[in-house]
Amino acid sequence: MSLDPLVSSLRIAGSGMQTQSSRLRVVAENIANAQSTGASAGSDPYARKTITFESALDRASGENLVQVKSVGVDTTPFRIEHMPGNPAADEKGDVKMPNVDLLFEMEDMREANRSYEANLQVVKQSRQMLTETIDLLRS
Amino acid sequence: VETLAVFSLASQKASWLATRETTIASNVANANTPGYSAQDVAPFSSVLSHLQLSMATTAPDHIQPESPSGLKTKVKPSDSWDVVYSGNSVNVEQEMLKAGEVGNAHALDVGVVRSFHQMLMNAVKT
Repeated sequence: MSLDPLVSSLRIAGSGMQTQSSRLRVVAENIANAQSTGASAGSDPYARKTITFESALDRASGENLVQVKSVGVDTTPFRIEHMPGNPAADEKGDVKMPNVDLLFEMEDMREANRSYEANLQVVKQSRQMLTETIDLLRS
Repeated sequence: VETLAVFSLASQKASWLATRETTIASNVANANTPGYSAQDVAPFSSVLSHLQLSMATTAPDHIQPESPSGLKTKVKPSDSWDVVYSGNSVNVEQEMLKAGEVGNAHALDVGVVRSFHQMLMNAVKT
């Protein structure tokens, strides 16, 4: 390892926080678009987005970082609601609503928050260990 | 000097703790990565038992052996508390617990170094 291990921990925890923020962004998009129907009659509404992570080995320093693998589209079928007056309604008066379930999104948000806090805790601890070592010079 | 052995031991322990902290950091960062299995370093006692005296280079053709500290700490899949459906075996609570252990051990290590340093300085000053 070329870097000091404690500095590596800071970088790794930083990458974790970054990916969890991306996850939170996807959750925000999903919640914001929970009612977004299509524009024309019978068109598809907003499709829920999913995010996956992958472990990435930084070969220069041997760090096990984490990064966003892909942002995909959830393929569960859309909800059908009967709203004849809606501009997006087909000839039978059915409107396709997004396949976003707010309960799932809330759960995802809580888990992202929890993982983010765990990474933050690692940052705090690594910083404290660095400070303790540096403070040895101070006595 | 007899006391200097304490400093080298404390330095090795600090380096081992820092490596363990890095391992914990990658576990926590990959807590939601599918298929990632949690890792941990070999315990410090096994690192200590493998320590050998470093070889002296008495001729210019001798190859300088690599320093033993840091290399001995290898990362292995730890016995994790649980494995979720995606194949991820990181338990965040377990990692936080380990991080707490590392923090305490590091504080102790630094405290020992500080107190021995103080003793040496007292002896020098009187």
